[in-house]
Amino acid sequence: MVLALRAASVVAFLLLWEWAARVPISFAFPSPGATLAALVALVRSGALPAATLISLQSLLLGFGAAVLIGVPLGLVMGVVRPVGRVGRVYLDLLIALPTAALVPLVILSFGINVLSSAVIVFVFSAPFVIMNAYGGVRDVRPRLVEMARAFDASWGQLFTRIVLPSALPMILAGIRYALSRAFVGLIVAELLLSPFGLGRLIMSSRSMFEHDRMFATVLWTLLFAGTALAAVARVEARLLRWRA
Amino acid sequence: MAAREPGAAAGTAAPLPITVEAVSKAFGAVQALVDVDVRVRAGEFLSLIGPSGCGKTTLLKIMAGLVPADRGRVTIGERVVTGPGQECSVVFQDFALLPWATAQRNVEFGLLLRGVDPAARAARARGAIAKVGLGGFENAYPAQLSGGMQQRVGLARALAVNPRVLLMDEPFASIDEQTRRVFQDDLLGLWSQERKTVVLVTHSMEEAIYLSDRVVVLSPRPGRVHQTLDVPLPRPREAGDVRATAEFARLVDGLWKVLRKLQ
Amino acid sequence: MTVAALVGLAVAWELVGRLDASMFLPPLSRVAVTWWQLLQDGTLARAASSSLVSLVKGFVPAAVLGVVVGFAMGRFAVVRYVLDGWVNALMSAPLSALVPILIALFGVRDTVVAATVFMFSFFVIVVNTLTGVRGADRSLVDMARAFGATEMALFGRIYLPAALPAVMLGLRLGVVQAVKGMVVGEMLISLVGLGERLIYYGNTFLITELYAVILSVLVVALLAGHLAQACDRALVRWK
Repeated sequence: MVLALRAASVVAFLLLWEWAARVPISFAFPSPGATLAALVALVRSGALPAATLISLQSLLLGFGAAVLIGVPLGLVMGVVRPVGRVGRVYLDLLIALPTAALVPLVILSFGINVLSSAVIVFVFSAPFVIMNAYGGVRDVRPRLVEMARAFDASWGQLFTRIVLPSALPMILAGIRYALSRAFVGLIVAELLLSPFGLGRLIMSSRSMFEHDRMFATVLWTLLFAGTALAAVARVEARLLRWRA
Repeated sequence: MAAREPGAAAGTAAPLPITVEAVSKAFGAVQALVDVDVRVRAGEFLSLIGPSGCGKTTLLKIMAGLVPADRGRVTIGERVVTGPGQECSVVFQDFALLPWATAQRNVEFGLLLRGVDPAARAARARGAIAKVGLGGFENAYPAQLSGGMQQRVGLARALAVNPRVLLMDEPFASIDEQTRRVFQDDLLGLWSQERKTVVLVTHSMEEAIYLSDRVVVLSPRPGRVHQTLDVPLPRPREAGDVRATAEFARLVDGLWKVLRKLQ
Repeated sequence: MTVAALVGLAVAWELVGRLDASMFLPPLSRVAVTWWQLLQDGTLARAASSSLVSLVKGFVPAAVLGVVVGFAMGRFAVVRYVLDGWVNALMSAPLSALVPILIALFGVRDTVVAATVFMFSFFVIVVNTLTGVRGADRSLVDMARAFGATEMALFGRIYLPAALPAVMLGLRLGVVQAVKGMVVGEMLISLVGLGERLIYYGNTFLITELYAVILSVLVVALLAGHLAQACDRALVRWK
């Protein structure tokens, strides 16, 4: 029943899209069919895979750094109270700031290259990794710490056997959310940076009025992001099988 | 008191006496305990009871070495308590189970912290799980277990390290009455086989009388020992219908009269 | 503590800037001076007002529509089943990828900014409203029914107050997202507003001006966030 409703909504969306293209809602608005054709052509020509690869580089570099640096940093913040209190202030500011505003600055500082977009991806995603690792440590149930102490656990044992497993769900949730932010950063960086990756493909298609190609690339990008996020969610679910 | 030999089961260490001398504890401006003297005999089952805020849980935590006393001292066997010790085990009111670990792993936890090797850990844990009647549930997660079962895991964990002293902080408070009664009988059964010194904090008069050899009543804050009652009911109590006897009712009533005056 | 941390940061910035380590890190004092100049000559005022207009034009419809859709989804399972997939998918999607499509639809105009703002904030509001409605205590609903409450009464007296904290949370998060959408939209069409200024100063290497605008954007974001929080506290006093 649910499946039928969902399928129906997808069909309805496609019909709406088809109608919008025929009206036409604005000149050269591509139909679903045209978009699909363009998508196939782009994949065949290798343009889409190549662009994806370049984008992937920035993503892995920036997001990887965010996780590798962010998780330990957040843990330290959680365990060493003063560091946490101070870091919290900077983190809140960073999260409140619309990160896109930093893009021109980064481009100026690092140039128009993969490093720039990697840095932007990092700035978009790292704060959330750090925040969640910090929160995960702070949210450890005091009772569990007390119980371990009753068994005369050492500080090291407390950290590895109580704090880390306790914080894991929040850390993973933070990583998953940070990945979605990383994609946002990637797209924003590339749309503004232009010479690289999927963003370039989108912008160049737009400026050449090849709207079917642009739509196709946008669709591909959304699917790409969606798949990556779904994969991470799967991993998260496996690691947290003990949750009620 | 002890009509039978302590430590009957093989491989169990003998129970230890606990001496609490002139213990006082304050939290900031709040005086929780003042000049508390309690002597628990080796292998005795002692209950701590009193009105809310009388400090009974604080006293238990001081015995467990989790909270330092401001004045006075606690001795368990030969050891002066300055921190948690290997001869004590604690059972908590809210079970304190690791939610991410199976029952088996939870029971192994204390052994793990003490560096027992995996094979021995697993074997001892399985034994403890069987003893508390949870055989077959080794791979269940706490979220899949009822309250009573979770506490059995907590008890198994406490027993797996072969403690000589068992400290229990309102262990049955979060469990429904029917399950509680069965659990109390099982506890007495286990205790009679492997004698340990047990100190149980409770707010249930009936439970205190049913389980213990002696009941220590603490006064309202600041807590001090108000009175100690003997419970000369014969053992084993889990076998018979102790709760239906006139003697039992008389003892519970006596305890109630003491507590009522303290309210 | 917060103040100390901020003061520390300001001092560090000033000192590092003075070191002249990089032309891309001017001392805070120079940024402050430039900021003041931009304020005086009206550049900031013009850009900010354009941005804020787009913000309101985009956020208000998102808030109204978002709450309505969220309520419908929370109350009626059918609506929820149909829209659930879309809402969840779009909430975590990099919506900035859709901005070029908006540009294709509306042309290079400031309407795109309002549309981006709408897009960024709509889904967050829907999801939170939906959660609030679904979280309404079943026993309260049953109780009201037992006393003969009509659908309208149920809505006004049970669902609405029960969902209000979640709705407010959604609106607060929505405001934060709206500001982000505003900046992204403006930067991509590069026509008006604070976003346009960011692109312009970036392209012309006017570093101190760039920093001044970034700080202004931060101020706008913080103000919007605190305003939303104040509204939240005023409306949901029983929590």
